[in-house]
Amino acid sequence: MKSTFALIRTTAGTSPVATALGLAVLAGLFLFPSFVQSPYTLHIMILFFLSTIQGEAWNIIGGYTGQYSIGHVAYFGAGAYTTMILMQYKQIPPWYGMLAGIGVALVVSLIIGSICFRLQGPYFVLASIAVAEIMRLSAINLKDITNGAEGILITEIPVFKIGNTVVTDFLSKVPFYYIGLVIALVTILVTWMVQNSKLGYYFQAIREDQDAAHSLGISLPIYKNIALALSAVFTSLSGSFYAVYIGYIDPSTVLNLDISVQIVLVCIIGGIGTIWGPVIGAMVLVPLSEALRSDLIAEMIFKTGLTSEGSAIGTFLKENLAHAHALIYGILVVVVILFMPDGVLGWVKKLTVQKGRG
Amino acid sequence: MATILEIKHVSKFFGGLAANSDVSFSLEEGMIMGMIGPNGAGKTTLFNCITGYYPPSRGEVIFKAQKISGLEPDRICRLGMVRTWQKVRPLAKLSVIDNVMVGALCRTNSLKTARELAMEQLKVVRMDNKPNFLAGGLPIGEQKKLEVARALATQPQLLLLDEVMGGLNPAESDEIIQLILEIKKGGGITQMVIEHDMKAIMRISDRIVVINSGEKLAEGTPQEIVNNPEVVRAYLGDFHA
Repeated sequence: MKSTFALIRTTAGTSPVATALGLAVLAGLFLFPSFVQSPYTLHIMILFFLSTIQGEAWNIIGGYTGQYSIGHVAYFGAGAYTTMILMQYKQIPPWYGMLAGIGVALVVSLIIGSICFRLQGPYFVLASIAVAEIMRLSAINLKDITNGAEGILITEIPVFKIGNTVVTDFLSKVPFYYIGLVIALVTILVTWMVQNSKLGYYFQAIREDQDAAHSLGISLPIYKNIALALSAVFTSLSGSFYAVYIGYIDPSTVLNLDISVQIVLVCIIGGIGTIWGPVIGAMVLVPLSEALRSDLIAEMIFKTGLTSEGSAIGTFLKENLAHAHALIYGILVVVVILFMPDGVLGWVKKLTVQKGRG
Repeated sequence: MATILEIKHVSKFFGGLAANSDVSFSLEEGMIMGMIGPNGAGKTTLFNCITGYYPPSRGEVIFKAQKISGLEPDRICRLGMVRTWQKVRPLAKLSVIDNVMVGALCRTNSLKTARELAMEQLKVVRMDNKPNFLAGGLPIGEQKKLEVARALATQPQLLLLDEVMGGLNPAESDEIIQLILEIKKGGGITQMVIEHDMKAIMRISDRIVVINSGEKLAEGTPQEIVNNPEVVRAYLGDFHA
């Protein structure tokens, strides 16, 4: 807890108001499940934590080090599959499976890194996508281990005990809420620690100018691999967490390229290379994708009276808007890149600075 | 005086083109070596061969009695040789002090120590009044000085400056000349300087090496170089010789 205090104090400057606000938000998040019992709201919060973890993790390699990996689903899938396979076939509880997942993701990241970091810029991006696709195809075809395209469904999660006291039986969403919250906080804390260390300086130097960094004594393969490994660890954690939470994985849900793109979007929309960017990005994207999925947007349009549910346009919207999430994401990215090149966070900062001057 | 850098028969081929062929010379500790030559003569290629960006096709580079040709640039930097870039390479989105700290972190793991070292170097180049400016927004003269400060922060024994006065106005150039002379006076740092400004190079160099068409054309004191008919011919053509 102490380090969390430090985190808030440092990132929010010395302003006591900001510190108090940060602590209030933190306390609110911890007390949230005592006031809100709605499983749906908790579900949204859990998705928000998941997205934050993924965004922060990608931010280390993409935002700070400037290596745009669009294959992060490889680590997500590695975590998800390792945890699920161990739990389903070896009866190893997920909290150990998570650690094994981290190990697998580390190995995968070092293999990917040592090969792909010979490439730069767009070639690295393509290679990262290729590796993720290799993972997906392997998961489909290695049926003995992964159960192929049928995927793995867990029937029950073992009860988590310390000594003889049952801590949780994972029957409600509340334990998942707290696990998600804690992992998200740890990820943010680690990002903060990276940013305020030699690693952070070296990562950013590599992002800004690789050759200049090289001439200043920075070993490019070593530091790029460290960044990728750190990023892979937390992405894998998010994969394990997702798998256990949802209880079912298959190659098209946990090794789908869409997830890689989602992860990158969280960062780009929130603000790349900043600690709070991915948090903001997750705050924007998670509700948006939920609204799209559950047809909230179509309903809102009907309520405003622009068109009625019975009309031709109304029927079209109702039937198709939910499937149009890719389109709407696309528009969102274009808008963000055109009008907020530093993401929502950068845009808000700019607005406040201008107001302060005026 | 001890020899700090020895370039032995270095050649660099790009396909069939010899960017450097059979270049040899050496640097004594504490001196300033000037390097001149027409555009495209192969000066920067030679810098790249020395600092590890290209492995030489033939020949070798000896730094402090150790063969360094074939090592990566980061290893060479940690051994004590650092360069600046003809086309400046500021870490644009980082602040001035952070740029220099990246250099300083080469010798320390502590941000606090690095910050102190960086501040010292900013004082040396007289930029300690704007540590929090973004490096990318500085005018070219200050970006050049920032490059020098960042390189110095790695605590080198040998500093290679690639056209550090290029694109500067006379006042700014003069400031850089003073800076180079101060670094020499401070002792402990040998310098090699590529420069097109003849007046400047004559003023600061202890010795000058002339590169033309990838080959070493001449080497000597500034006085010897201006009186060398070969050099005059390379620069001005046969008519004047």
